[in-house]
Amino acid sequence: MASVDRCDKTLPLNEMMFYVRKSKALRDRWNTDLAGLCREFGVSDAEYQALRDQDVRALHEMGVHQYYVPQMLRLFYGASANSNAHPALEAYKRAYPEESARALELAARLERGLGGPELRGPHVQGQGR
Amino acid sequence: MATIVAAMAMTHSPGLTGWFERAPLQQQLLAKKAMDEMRWRLEAAKPDVILGFSNDHLLNWPINNVPELTVGIGEEHVGPADWYDEWLALGKYRIPGHPGLARYIVNEGARRRIAFSYLREMQFDDGFSVPMHYLNPFNAIPLVPISMNCTVPPIPLPTRSYEVGLALREMVKAYPENLRVAVLATGGLSHEPGGPRYFWVDEEFDQWFMAMLAKGDHDALLRECTLEKMEAAGSGGTAELLAWIMALAFTRGPAEVLAYMPAVAWRSGTGMVVWGEFA
Repeated sequence: MASVDRCDKTLPLNEMMFYVRKSKALRDRWNTDLAGLCREFGVSDAEYQALRDQDVRALHEMGVHQYYVPQMLRLFYGASANSNAHPALEAYKRAYPEESARALELAARLERGLGGPELRGPHVQGQGR
Repeated sequence: MATIVAAMAMTHSPGLTGWFERAPLQQQLLAKKAMDEMRWRLEAAKPDVILGFSNDHLLNWPINNVPELTVGIGEEHVGPADWYDEWLALGKYRIPGHPGLARYIVNEGARRRIAFSYLREMQFDDGFSVPMHYLNPFNAIPLVPISMNCTVPPIPLPTRSYEVGLALREMVKAYPENLRVAVLATGGLSHEPGGPRYFWVDEEFDQWFMAMLAKGDHDALLRECTLEKMEAAGSGGTAELLAWIMALAFTRGPAEVLAYMPAVAWRSGTGMVVWGEFA
């Protein structure tokens, strides 16, 4: 099963995120009244605790749509300059250390091994692999 | 009768505007050069309208009611949506729409048994904001945006996207006014937004996909590029390439690959292609 297929479309937390992203008033309550916000949308205690604890793996396992998870983290930490070094993404490195390390090693290798831009076309076999 | 005058596709990852400089310099240069080339070719084609294909990132529709396809039919489009402007590091922009073509697609689609939802005020995330920033920077070319769902199950199959593309091609060509139409697909390549492999890029898949486009055998691509293969290369993100497959239906023969880079810094395989022949 692909990871996106674990999404529970009926989960209240998924419904809540749609409205939070659209409303500044709701976004402003994220860091001051998260518990109250969750209550208003019928979010369960387990969902709330996973959200409060920024537990990425638990959020995935309970069926939060995976696209929403980094959006939740950005609400805690801010959205600007959201590179791989952004504090909002540290929770991913904790939840999926092996997957994250593998990707970031690839990034480092690519940075070290890249040739000039003219060498990166797909017609060039084996470059940088 | 409308005429297809350009067809092209590019990645729309938010890093291309939001944290562009965090990628290796070579990737920045290659991406910028390719997007400049796309813009020049787009302008040289002198389109009256861009028919854009992208995907909604759970912004326009709540998860309990996600349509397969949505057309933005407004007189004008305003973006990015508030939640996205800081992330994308983009100021607000306004692009003229083309309600005549957009509403025609909604209604003609229904006659052909394709359900296009529509929005008079479509919200814009990275899907259209990033490509418009680079390809239509003065917002001079009107846009008809069509978003598709590729991230909330059930995700359409590539063969379905190609069928929709074929139907759109027939509809657009039968449009009762003279109109020069540029087709632009945005999204992909491999990435898994928010999933366990959030930072990963599947370079092997990306190189294979680009090579298939460069080969230009549509039947082979549709036969081999299954949804399962896309999901294996990055769940919930790589299937943004369904927009490219919709655009493919407007073309004939090989695509010219302007650039490809496994841009882990932008959390997405990143590529740009243009087609030279139109079906």
